[in-house]
Amino acid sequence: MSASKISRDHEAWTVLHKFVERYVHFNDAEFRAWQSFFEIRTFDKKQSVISVGEQEEYINIVVSGLARKYANLERGEVTMQIAPEGHMIHAEWSFHKRVPSSVIVETIEPTTFIAISHKNWQALLDKHPKAEHMSRLFVTEMFIIKDRRYYDMVQKSTREVFLDYIKSHPHMLQRVPQKYLASYLNIQPETFSRLKHLLKTSGTKSI
Amino acid sequence: MENALRQLLDKYLVLSDEDLMLINNQLEFREFPRRTLIVREGETENYLSFVVSGILRKYFYKGRQEVITQLASEGTFISSSVSFFSAMPSQYFIETLEPVTLLSLSRESLHKLYIQIPKMEKLARLIITDLYLQKEKWEQDAITLSIKERFSRFVDDYPELLKRVPQKYIASYLNIKPETFSRLKHSLNHSTAVTA
Repeated sequence: MSASKISRDHEAWTVLHKFVERYVHFNDAEFRAWQSFFEIRTFDKKQSVISVGEQEEYINIVVSGLARKYANLERGEVTMQIAPEGHMIHAEWSFHKRVPSSVIVETIEPTTFIAISHKNWQALLDKHPKAEHMSRLFVTEMFIIKDRRYYDMVQKSTREVFLDYIKSHPHMLQRVPQKYLASYLNIQPETFSRLKHLLKTSGTKSI
Repeated sequence: MENALRQLLDKYLVLSDEDLMLINNQLEFREFPRRTLIVREGETENYLSFVVSGILRKYFYKGRQEVITQLASEGTFISSSVSFFSAMPSQYFIETLEPVTLLSLSRESLHKLYIQIPKMEKLARLIITDLYLQKEKWEQDAITLSIKERFSRFVDDYPELLKRVPQKYIASYLNIKPETFSRLKHSLNHSTAVTA
């Protein structure tokens, strides 16, 4: 095994451990038992993780890199999620309802995921009550975040949406192509450029 | 009533009679006349409710404009769910549109059931996943479908609601201008008359 693979694996398990510890606590033996259910998936940049019409088989947690979820519409692409390190991304409707995906998940940067397949997830839930508890807490949190995001997007002005996002995700402006960010925040590309320019020249306070 | 509950929960997982009894013991029947606000913005939602009869709407204010995010009828859940699960103040209002009967589970009772019933974690996880997916789908439809598609999908999926819910509320739920909604509804009536 190469040194880089060992360090990548180590990083993946660390990310998983941190992710899971947000919801449940367990000892080393318990964590090792969980590890066997997970796998590491690597993708180049701009590579498809799941396409329209495919069955989603995975829950992916980003170890390193960046991925996005989007829909391909007549009027163009609409980005629905941008997932950096430590975030989960997959086609959730397809995964849970067991139907072909209507969305696309694609990497933006070369990306490593720590992932669990649908089959292994079911097995983990059956075998470990803590996995059931964790999944309940996790999906509750996702649900709350989704609702908050929707509510904020409706209530806030374009300017507030832009500034709040940049403040809470300071590195995304460098890492994510502008058109994806604009689409994700539902801001016209021209408006997004203007806000970004204002931010550069005058900082967050005077926008 | 137990039958309706069993039917609902069977969709998620099969429970023993004992477990079902334990859940049943924690449920409260709640009845409201039409046009009652059962949750207001700023209050904490204490219940996750199953609609036994009647229709409710869930909405919030954007400035002075109401934005309806859910129309709930018999056999579905209604709650200011984020407030219920987080115990934070509700950002939504919930109002009855008809006389309504609910079968409600309080947050306190839910926590009791987590202790009493081992399968409760799983049941809750499946229900919350469903709520999450519904929200995902509603948002996705709003982005991906055209106005006409949103309208015809609603007509196909919820013919009952089209009859029972005031038009302006359905228009708000589908994020369609009231005039456009009238036009679409008119063309629907017209085309069914022609085909019939």
